[in-house]
Amino acid sequence: MIKVLFFARLQEELGKDNMELDTAGWTIDELKNWLEAEYNLDGVTQTMTAVNEEFTDGSHILASGDTVAFIPPVSGG
Amino acid sequence: MENRYAKQELFSPIGREGQNLLQTKHILIMGAGALGSANAEMLVRAGIGKVTIIDRDIVESSNLHRQQLYTEKEAEKHTPKAIAAKERLQQINQDTKIDAFVLDADAANLEKLIRNVNLIIDGTDNFDIRFILNDLSQKHQIPWIFGASAGSFGMTYTFIPGKTPCLHCLFPSIPGIGMSCDSSGIIGPAIQMTASYQTTEAMKWLTENEEALRTSLLFFDIWHGQQQTIGMNKGKNKECLSCGNNRAYPYLNQSETAHIDVLCGRDTVQIRPSSKKKYDFSHIAKHLQSHGNVKSNNYVLTCLYRDYRIAVFHDGRVLIHGTKKKDEAKSIYHEFFAETNLNLVTKE
Ligand SMILES: [Zn+2]
Repeated sequence: MIKVLFFARLQEELGKDNMELDTAGWTIDELKNWLEAEYNLDGVTQTMTAVNEEFTDGSHILASGDTVAFIPPVSGG
Repeated sequence: MENRYAKQELFSPIGREGQNLLQTKHILIMGAGALGSANAEMLVRAGIGKVTIIDRDIVESSNLHRQQLYTEKEAEKHTPKAIAAKERLQQINQDTKIDAFVLDADAANLEKLIRNVNLIIDGTDNFDIRFILNDLSQKHQIPWIFGASAGSFGMTYTFIPGKTPCLHCLFPSIPGIGMSCDSSGIIGPAIQMTASYQTTEAMKWLTENEEALRTSLLFFDIWHGQQQTIGMNKGKNKECLSCGNNRAYPYLNQSETAHIDVLCGRDTVQIRPSSKKKYDFSHIAKHLQSHGNVKSNNYVLTCLYRDYRIAVFHDGRVLIHGTKKKDEAKSIYHEFFAETNLNLVTKE
């Protein structure tokens, strides 16, 4: 299983802060596209991604036991 | 009597030596809004040698809940933030040299101001200007400390050229939908927390405690007490156009076009004409006063018009307060500042 953590705006849009998904073998980009379609999750494709607390690009392939975090960019100040 | 920095020198990673270093250092704070104010105050109190602070905006009453350098008096007088910041900072510490610029920063004018700067602090509210800062940081090998805050969230990272990834590595293009003060609101503590992390990193760099710098990107939610760090071991992109092997600094070479921006956190649209102007306020006042009450100080002329307040700067920038809609702002702008009218009120 893959644990997916959602932060900030994504949490509000989803109404929860994490999910367990059976998506080992998927790339990050595939996971993002699926989430966007399945949950109508606006802009998840533009979020920063960490796998096991390390910055990761979209081509990374997920392995069982990974924890993925999606963090939307903050721009204000 | 103890010297004013005695307690800071007692903190062993800084010490007397670090304090002496700090007093020789020069930082540039880009933006004198909430993050800029908070960083500036902490670093000036800490005894930094010189601060260059840049902001394009004027103080508004809706800033006061989070922008700590400003008071009601300045909101009433529409004082430019850079000017109000300098005045307050100089009252706090007269030994710090402070250069303040009321300026709509772009790649060209910023590049002139970063000479001899040891560090850049991000007090901006948008990614367009951060991508310019990032390219300048890479080109001139000056570190910068990214900070951003919205709602109860904050995000910060310390970019060190030649060592860490750069902003452009982390975002292949400018993020289109960052969380802003407009979409999420903002509370003061989220600002203070973000700025505290930024200032702490600045102190490490400026007192030459480089090994103590945080290497991860930090994201937090101060309302829910959550924090997430992102390690950057895999962040660097060798093909990056800003910091990679074939770098081109793409954000330093943008063409001059008119810009319309919705300003963060309030009912204001900024319009920047395609070329710099040199407005003579007395001409503009004559032109505008048949439409509404006109006031001016050395920096800005304001006119109350219908439900809007129009603020005009010498360089041709215009802020339309009272709307978040670009089209609405544009039509008001064109009522008074259509290019034909501009010629009438422009003194070359
Ligand atoms: Zn880069």
